[in-house]
This record gives sequence, C-alpha cells and structure tokens, in this order.
Amino acid sequence: MPTLTIDNQTITIPEGKTILEAAEALGIMVPHFCYHKELGAVGSCRMCAVTVHTGPMPGLKMACLIAVEDGMVVTTGDETSATFRERVGEWLMLNHPHDCPVCDEGGECQLQEMTISSGHGIRRYQGGKGTYTNQDLGPFIAQEMNRCIQCYRCARTYKDYCGGRDFGVMGSRNRVFFGRFKEGMLESDFSGNLVDLCPTGVFTDRTFRFKSRAWDLEQADSVCPQCGVGCATVPGGRLRELQRVQSGDNLQVNATFICDRGRFGSGYANHPERPRQARQGDQIVSVTAALTTLATEIRAAVKQHGPEAVLLVGSDRASLETNWLLQRTAKHFGCRVPVLNAHRRRHQTAQMAAFDLSERLASLQDIRSSDLLLVCGVDPLAEAPLLALALRQAVRKGGRVVVYDPRPVELPCDADRVAITPLALQELLADGGVEGRHLRDLLGQAKNPIIVAGADLLGLAGLQKIQKWAEKTSNAERPCLVYPVLAGANSFGTALLSLPEQDDLLTRLESGKVKMLVCVDADPLLEAPEGERFSAALTHLEQLVVFDYLPTSLSQHANLFIPSCPPVEDSGTFINNEGRLRRFQRVLKPGLSLATGDHPAREFSLGTPGSDPQPAALSLQRLIGLEQPLAELHRQLVQEQPRLAALAKLKAGEAGSRVAPAVARPQQIDRLPEQPAQTLELVVSPARYGGDLFSRYAPKLEPRKRPPCFYLHPDELQAQGLKDGDNAIVETDFGSIKLPVRSQPDMAGGCVLVENSEVFPHLIPGAGLSYCVISPGGANE
Amino acid sequence: MTPIEQQTTDHLLDEQALSEFIQHAGEIEHPREMIIDVLRAIQSHHGWVPDEGVELTAAILGLTPLEVEEIATFYDKIYRRPVGRFVIHLCDSVCCWTRGAEEIAAHLQKTLNIEFGQTTADGLFTLLPSCCLGCCGIAPAVMVKQQFYGPLTPEKVDELIAALRQEGSA
Amino acid sequence: MSQTTQVLFKNRIPGKTVFLKEFSANGGYQGLKAAIQTMTPLEIRELVKAAALRGRGGAGFPTGVKWGFFPADKPGIKYLVCNCDEMEPGTYKDGVLLQADPHQLIEGMILSAFALQTQVGYIFIRYAYEKQAENLRRAIAEATQAGYLGKNILGSGFDFELHVHGSAGRYILGEETALLNGLEGIRPNPRLKPPFPAVRGLFGQPTTVNNVETIANIPHIVTGGAEWFKDLALTPEGSGTKLFGLSGHLNRTECFELPVGIPLREVVETYGRGMWKNKQFKACLPGGASTPYLTREHLDVPLDFTSLEKVGSRFGTAGVTAFDEDTCMVAVTLNLIRFFARESCGWCTPCRDGLTMVRWLLEMLESGKGTPEHLELLKGQLKNISGTSFCALAEGAMGPVAGLLTHFEQEIVDHIEGGRCPFSK
Repeated sequence: MPTLTIDNQTITIPEGKTILEAAEALGIMVPHFCYHKELGAVGSCRMCAVTVHTGPMPGLKMACLIAVEDGMVVTTGDETSATFRERVGEWLMLNHPHDCPVCDEGGECQLQEMTISSGHGIRRYQGGKGTYTNQDLGPFIAQEMNRCIQCYRCARTYKDYCGGRDFGVMGSRNRVFFGRFKEGMLESDFSGNLVDLCPTGVFTDRTFRFKSRAWDLEQADSVCPQCGVGCATVPGGRLRELQRVQSGDNLQVNATFICDRGRFGSGYANHPERPRQARQGDQIVSVTAALTTLATEIRAAVKQHGPEAVLLVGSDRASLETNWLLQRTAKHFGCRVPVLNAHRRRHQTAQMAAFDLSERLASLQDIRSSDLLLVCGVDPLAEAPLLALALRQAVRKGGRVVVYDPRPVELPCDADRVAITPLALQELLADGGVEGRHLRDLLGQAKNPIIVAGADLLGLAGLQKIQKWAEKTSNAERPCLVYPVLAGANSFGTALLSLPEQDDLLTRLESGKVKMLVCVDADPLLEAPEGERFSAALTHLEQLVVFDYLPTSLSQHANLFIPSCPPVEDSGTFINNEGRLRRFQRVLKPGLSLATGDHPAREFSLGTPGSDPQPAALSLQRLIGLEQPLAELHRQLVQEQPRLAALAKLKAGEAGSRVAPAVARPQQIDRLPEQPAQTLELVVSPARYGGDLFSRYAPKLEPRKRPPCFYLHPDELQAQGLKDGDNAIVETDFGSIKLPVRSQPDMAGGCVLVENSEVFPHLIPGAGLSYCVISPGGANE
Repeated sequence: MTPIEQQTTDHLLDEQALSEFIQHAGEIEHPREMIIDVLRAIQSHHGWVPDEGVELTAAILGLTPLEVEEIATFYDKIYRRPVGRFVIHLCDSVCCWTRGAEEIAAHLQKTLNIEFGQTTADGLFTLLPSCCLGCCGIAPAVMVKQQFYGPLTPEKVDELIAALRQEGSA
Repeated sequence: MSQTTQVLFKNRIPGKTVFLKEFSANGGYQGLKAAIQTMTPLEIRELVKAAALRGRGGAGFPTGVKWGFFPADKPGIKYLVCNCDEMEPGTYKDGVLLQADPHQLIEGMILSAFALQTQVGYIFIRYAYEKQAENLRRAIAEATQAGYLGKNILGSGFDFELHVHGSAGRYILGEETALLNGLEGIRPNPRLKPPFPAVRGLFGQPTTVNNVETIANIPHIVTGGAEWFKDLALTPEGSGTKLFGLSGHLNRTECFELPVGIPLREVVETYGRGMWKNKQFKACLPGGASTPYLTREHLDVPLDFTSLEKVGSRFGTAGVTAFDEDTCMVAVTLNLIRFFARESCGWCTPCRDGLTMVRWLLEMLESGKGTPEHLELLKGQLKNISGTSFCALAEGAMGPVAGLLTHFEQEIVDHIEGGRCPFSK
C-alpha cells in the first residue's frame, strides 16, 4: 500500500485511491464540486487543484484524478494551488446571483463552503451576468438556473446513476442548461436526489421551499419505513412538523440516494386527520387513563374467559422493540402468544428469509458489484425502489440482469426480461427443463451471482425453490447469495421474533374464542388479504383496541383507541430485507404543527396541542409497568434472542450489522392450488405510489398516483373480447371487482394485473397463487 | 420505438429519407451516430428543426427527445428556431475581421434592415454570425447553404442578395 | 506559382477537383498497390516514424510515435478517424486540399488503415465543407468499385470500409476525443486522457485520429521514402512540405505548399507578395489563432515546429495571418478571445468562466475604459488559465494573450493612459 505525504502528514492508503481521498482520510478537506464518492471523479470543476512536488511532471494537479503513489509529496496550502483555487472560486462566482438570503440551500450549501474555503471574496468581474428562464419541473423539484456553477452533478446523477432519460444538459459554453426537453414533472422515481446532489441552490425541494432554514431543523439519523430496503434517511422537522426527508449515507444499503416515495412520502406524520387523542368509546381521555383501563380490561377478560380471550397483534411496520414488548405484554397478562403479522403468508415468507436464507443474504452493495443477477418475481420500482438503482449500478459495471416476472417490470437499466405467469414461474423454479438448466448454468458460472427473490409473488413455495437453486449454484469459492424482497420495513424483524407456534390471526378470530383484539401499530383490514372475512370476524369481538398513528378506519371503529407514534417520533430498530439491523433515532416530538400562522407562534398553553401520542413501545412498557432505557430493553431482548447481539453496539446513522445467521429449518412443502379451467391468474402488485400504507397519507405524492385498472396483455384482452378502456368485472377469491381494463403488451398473457393502493385497497399482494374470471363490465355508472 | 405516422412527418423528412434512416438505424450497432445526419436532413427539408423534428429523430433512433435535444442544442449549425429561406452566416473571426468583415456586417444589417439573429419580414434572409468558416483566403466571406461567397465588398454583397432574392422568388 | 516540389498539391488545379481517372493517370494508388503487396504493416509504421512526420492538425505530435502507441495486432474492431473538422481561425488548407484531390486522402487512409490494421475508417468533416464531403463520397464510390476499398483489398486479405461523417459546427470538435464523442452522437465534451484513444477510443475500441493533411502525406512517404521526405524540409529537424494558408493584410491570400522551415519573411514577401496597401508588417499569427504572435523581430525565423517553439510560439496549422502597422493588437486579441469564449464547450471552469473574464478584461481595455488593475488581472488570468484546463482549447486561447502581453504590453498601456484605442479613427 503506497505511503504519501500531504501537507507534512503521512498516510498509508490502498492503491487506486486518489489524492483527494487520501487527504480526506487525513482530515484535510480539499475543496471540490464535481467529485462525488458515488458519481466518481470527472475533473471538470478544477477546484481540487493541489501541488504535487514529486514525479516526472510535478506541478498543479487535480487531486480527484491523480492516483496515489508511494513517496508522493503533496501540498494544498502552497501559494500556487491556493491562488489557483481562489481563482476557480472567483470564476464560478462570476454569474452567481446574491441569492443567499432567499435561497433554500443557504446554510447547507457546498458552494458557500467551498467558495469561502477557496479564499475568494469580492467579485472583480463587472461584466454582464448570464441569466436563464427556469423550467417548471413538477411538484417536487424547484429550479433556479441562475445559481448554476455547471458542475454537471445533476446530469450525472439523474442520467448516469439513476438511469433517467428525460433530464440532461443542453446548449454549450457558459450557456449550458440543465433541464428537460419540455417543461413538466420529472419522470424518474429518483428525481429527488437532485436536491441532495446539487451543490448550490439550483435544484431544491419544492415541497420544502421557504419553510425552514436547515439550522433551525431538528434532524436525526433515521430509517425510511416505507419498504424493506431500509435506506438511511435524515428527516428534518421544525415546530412539530415533519418538513422534509433527506437521504442519509449507508454504504451497504442505499449509498447516498433515496427514492421519491421515501423523500416526499412523509405526510403521514402531520396528516390533518391523524388521531392524536386517546378515546374510550366516544369520550376523549388521557393516554394514561386509557392504558389503565386497558390493563384492567385485559386482566378481566383473561380471568373470565382464559388466555385465548385476548389477542395481541403487531405488524411489520412496528419496530423490533414494539413487537418484542407485545410478547412481553402477553406473558405479563397470561395471554396467548401474540400474532406479529396479520398477513400469514407474508409472515411465512419473511420467516424463510429470517431463518432459512439467513446464511446467504446479499446486501445492495453486493448487488451493485454482482456480475449476474436473477430477478425472480419482483418489480423493484414498486416493491423496493433502491433495489432497482442497485441493479443499474451492476449493469453499469458490466453485470447482467435477468428478470422473470408476470408484470411489465420497468428498470432504469438494460435487462433480459421474460414475462411469465406466477404459476409458470413456480414450474420453472421447480425444475424448468432446458430453460431452468440454462439459468442455473448462468448462476453457476458467474463470479458473484445473486438471486433477487420477491417474497410476495413467489410465496413460501417459490422461496423454497430459490433456496435450492442458490444451494445448487454455490461452490467452494463463493456462495450464490439471495436478496429477498419483503413487504415491510420490519418484516424480517417480526419474523425473527415470532415463536414457532404463531397461529394464523384469522383462524383464531373465527374460532370465536377471542373477545378482545389489541392491534398495535397494525391494521389487519389494510395489511392482510381476506378483508371481508376479517370484517366479519371483527363483529364478534367484545372489545377492539387499537394503537396507531394513521387515520385508518379500524382506529375509528376501536372501542378503545390509543394514539401512537411513527418512527420519526420514536427511537428503535428495524431489520431490513437482508437481515441488517437498522437503528432510527427520534427526530421530533409529536404535536400539531406550530409552523402555521404567525411566526413566532402566538398561542400559549401549558401543553403542546396534539402532543398526546407516545410511541407504542413506551405505551406497552407503561402498560406492564416496565419503563426502562432502550439499552436495558435491548439487553433483555438479546438474552431471549441471541441472534440480535449486535443490538448492543448499534447506533443510528451507521451502516448496521447483520443479525447472526440461523440454521435452516426442514422445509414443509407448500402445496400450490391448481388452476381451475377458464380462469386467469390474478396478480396483485403494490402501486409505486400509494402501495405502502405511509404513502397513502402523503398528499405530496398525489401527482405520481395512477387511477386503478386491470392490466391485461393485448392478446389476452382480445381473447376475452375486451378492448382497451372497457369496463370489466373480475371475480376473485376475495370478492368481485369492477374496473376499466388497459392493454399492457409488456406483461405475461394468461393473467390479470391489478395494483393495490389507497384508491384500490381491496386486494392485498402476497396472498399466494390465485385465479379469477373476467367478463365485460358494461358501461360506466 | 413508437410507430411513426407518415402523414405527420411529411414536413420534416420525405418518405424515402425516413424509411432509409429507419432501416439504417436497425442495421448498425450504434444508431446514435446518426443523430447529426437525421437532424441535418430534417433541416434541409424543413429549413430548421422544430420540436417535432427532435421528437422524430428520437423515434427513429430509439432515443428520448431530451437525448436528441442535448445534441441538437450544442451545435450552432442546427437551427432550433425558425429561420429564413437563406441563412447568411457572416464570419466574425480574425482573418475576415482583418479584411473588413465589420464593414460587411454593418452593410448587411443596413441593407436587409435586420440585426444579427433576426429574419427579414419577407422570410427570405436570416443573419447569423459564424466562427471561422475555413475559407480565410477569400476573406471577408459569408456562407449561405454551405456555399462560400467572398471576398466580399458592399457591392458584392448587394449582388449576392439580389441573386438570392431572385432564387427565392423562382 | 512556387518552385517548391509540389507533393500534396501534385494534382491540384485551382477551381477543379481531380477524380479517379486523372488521379490514377498521375500515379495515384501506385503507392497503395506496391505497399500492400510488398510491405508489412509494421514496416509502414516504421517508415512513417523514420520520416519524422509531425501532425498537421495543430498539435504537431510525431505521427510515428502516435502510431507506435496503437495496438495494431490486437484482435477486435479498431478505427482510423480522419479529423477534417479543424476550425481554428486562419486554417483553410484542409478545405483546399480536399477540394483539389479527394483520392489522395483516401489512398492515405487505406495505407494508414493497413499499417494500423484498422477495419473501419471515418472522415469526420466539418459542416462548411459539404462540397468536399460530396466529392469524398463520390471518390469513395470510385475507389470501392476499383477494389481499393472493401473486402480483401487488392487480394491482400485486408478489409477496410470508409465512411464520411458530417458535423454541425463548433470548434471543440477539432479536439480528437471531443470528435470521437461527436461521432458517437453524444455530447462532444473532451474525454479524460488516459485512457488515450489508442486504448479506448471510438465506441470503446482502439482508435487513431489524424488530421487530413497528415494522412495525405502517407502515400508520398511510402513511395518516396523517409530520407526523401525529410530532405523536402529546409531545416534539419523538419521534414516534408506543409500547406501554408495565408490570410490577413497580405496582397495575396492563397494556400501554398512550401517546404517546412521556410523563413517567415519569404512567406510574407514572396508568397504573400508583401503587405497590402504598401503597409508595413507588424505581427502575425504563424499557425492559426492559438499560436502566440510573431513580430518584426521574427521575420527570419524558419517556420517549423522546433524553431517556433524556441521563440515561444508554435507551428500549429501553418495558417499565417499577417497584421499591418495600423492594426490594434488588443483588438486582434479581443477578436480571438471572443472566438474561443464562444466556442468553449462549457465543461471546465477555466475555459468556460475564465475566458469570459478575459473577454471582459480585453473589452474594457480596448474600449478605453481599462485601468492598470485590469492589466494586472489579465496577467493573473493568463497565469491561472495556462495549463489548468481540461483540454487544450483554453490553453490555445492563452496563446494570443501571452503574445499580447509579451510583445505589445505598451499598446495596452497606451489604451489605458489614452482612455481610448489609439488605432481607432
């Protein structure tokens, strides 16, 4: 490893690193703009100039472009390079408007920082400044081209890293313009990253415009709760309002990017209909009173009717701590074991990930460096957007992506796509004949093969087959890894915690033995299939108790309601798709936003309005009289679950380590239902926007949401005697539905595709192979 | 590639050119290398490249309109705004400057009654500057439809304008 | 006309274009026929190296050395690209050469392709030379029919296909890596070097880019030999002839083929027939807009690569633009900087924004609104733009600025002190 000297300090650093990276490792910040650790170095801004004193051609060099060499001597503070950097600062500021007082970027602006560090101060140029006419790029991104310093990071992020094709650089010389062909909403699902990557105020978060100064925000390292990827985020709140979400850094998971769904989907925290007060019947009570009542009623029910009488339900959006505390609570009151996930099939597939696949899990970082990725039964942009971005990086490095899925899976990179029905996919994975052998050969010959497996579409049976494929294509040099795509931020965590005898929620409810159902950060009606059966079963209850922060209809029907907190108002842990512990830190306290009306706020009261909610984990601790610090909770949790030993050292903002692997369990074969005659396969997929519960309460995401419809392949449409735009009625195992049909040539024939969202919450993904019958639906009402 | 409707593209490319481009784009490994060829052909046919021209180029080559626009707006000899029948490019680089280009510039503006960047009201002439045209031996020179005219004097300019005017009315 | 051996202009008849019949009758393609049958690619490359040919596109890089970097034996597709997009003000020799004799370039391309074992060639030709492009297409068709292009050329087993690719303006396309990007149909910003085009060029494959005039010399080197080629020059370090494009305040502004190393005085007085209107020579650009000015004290300097470097200038493209005694050198420099600033591709800061600043400074100085601070600022700009940009465009732009400050600083001071341009009427 070469050793070099920068500003009289020595460092030994791996070969291939640049002077800029070596300086950074020494704590010397060389000013720069166009360099970014994920975008690489291109050498266009010329700001990172340093003087290299050794070598055949000493002199002024761009630190981001020069690889370190043994014995190299570099200075950053010498007059030549310092003067030159000041000159670059001056050149970049030639056209820059004095917008700081009105520019959102102020206070977290790389241009401010680098210009000051370059030493440039007074503009000596007195010529005309170039100005631009801005484009309306849609509701998410505001554009102020006059501030541009032409670092090209936006174009490189949007096009090169994220694969977008509707934004780029036009014109030439000092008239280059970064924008779209025509005005309109940016199309990429990752457009929001422009906000983080632009070093000045050209691209800012339009939804956050003029709201707060960065230094006034309460910020903390958090984790996005909207899918199972577990991206690092830095949400920012002020005056009790969650105002924006920025991406955080996590080399193993999301690098430095997040998707638009996560960035602009945070409206749930301050939703006007968010239930903020505890309620007993029609009466508003304090949370303390409600908890006291609850404890009394649980004891009474158990005493009168036995342990079966009270059933506690958790979810994959509740934290690890909350779900574990549910188990403690059940023990405390002598109730049956809680159900930690109302969706039985999702629970089973998550358990496969948490146990049987745990020795061969891949991270997104592994995916980014893989040379062969078999994507089975996943639509990344809908189910795990950053996964799509990771696939793209693999392709950029020369890797190959092969997709097998019934849906028209769109990816921001080239991929070999095979549109195949769910049943046919199961058959392919069972053996697959020539095609199956070919795929297994591809995996076997690859250097770092990874199978990306969609738990919802593949189900338990599919994941079991994937496990066998991974075993078969592993060899002594390297395993074949698997990245399971689970539905929720904590699907893996709830699965890991679950005791083996967890019963199916519906079965228990329908047995009639349950008198009181306690849903904690859970809503079976929205989160599990068989909605009609659940509704019916709920009517037999004597008591429905709900803890939640979302304004769901279940919370309205609860006899006893206790307001809880979303992850931004709590500190806790999720475990993501690949078994990585992800710690989130509380960003702000709950309350009605004080950011409305006059500033400073002119209302005075002893309590903050709307601040009753407390995290479910805390409520449960108080319920069983066991309030203690998080560290102590973790210590006890790890005693019960040794695989979670890494919890002790886990900090928010870190990459996080994996849970210890488990031994694979013996497989129970899941039998697949046969396809009845004259039916089509039903494919239910989450909508990209509105699919996850959080984004349903995010008004900012409205422009990206699509009206519901049935998608069919044009040949299938024709076979069914339908035309694009006709209404159709689809009879399913879960009820009968009427929607218009749309022709979709990129999907598999033999199936009907429908997206699950708040405008169409009826069918939940992951319900297993199911079949339907479609018929013309007549005219619109 | 979205299907291209012939009757909506007649004004941009003639049928034969369109089908040749489509065929060629399907044959070669890197259709992008045809971008300038297609844009120039549209410009020859239509006089300049409108938004639909960019969209048509994108459709032929399997690109997005933005990807074509990035290229079209870089080059000064691709006109993305309407121009007159004859675009007069007057060189304003050093050799033509030494031989009286500024005088020719003044004369052109006075004669045509427009400034650089404008088009005459009758739609015949657009005046644009150009960097060195590569015919410095006949400075000062203009380029009209990829033909050089020089060395120019005010009189020769008048002759040229008259000749072009006649060609324009034929 | 000149008494120099006419090599490149052998077939030239002003106003006429020579096609296959006359080209062959005058010995055309004999060199190709002989070489492709009796010489190996390596031997041709060694010959070009021995002939000490230097690039004729402005940079003057030794062609044999450039070819030496090229992996001629590497399997896979390789490209030869002819750069006919030189838009350096003062450079018009490529247009004259191609207008006269397109087959000469084609023969040169085929020989070069054979030497480098490139299977595909492009002639990247500027927008303004559409007539020359049409002539080239016709000549390519003739050559293909005659069996000089295509598969198994002259039974040698060597395949070579040649395409003409038209451009649409912009000076930066003359930079070889920007040209490659332009050819590929992507934004024509220059590329980072290394990797050099010989390693990763067009579409990621090994590529050589050479100027028109450079390639046009190849058939003559092959037929005449290295020593003959070197002897054509008047200086010991020089070799071959050069096309000199004369322009500016001369009585005769035409393109002449002259020996490398001819003194500036002879070019101005004999071939340019002296300064126009009985004026005196004041200064000139010896090799196009990016070469520092030569003044009266340089009239006896031989015009070749080495001699001009010794006096702080460059041979460039040998586009000699002469200025008479009534020319304001500040105004000349301003005109040149306006050109460079407008032609900047916009990629890197010193070019995009530095040239904007320099342009403004020269505008202030030329208009009489300049101050001594502006002069100091100009010197600072020169120091900080030289050698710091991503490609050579900004470097070239500093050529005239360096020349102005070296030889004509007093003129700048006169502008400042007089409050006006001393040459304006």
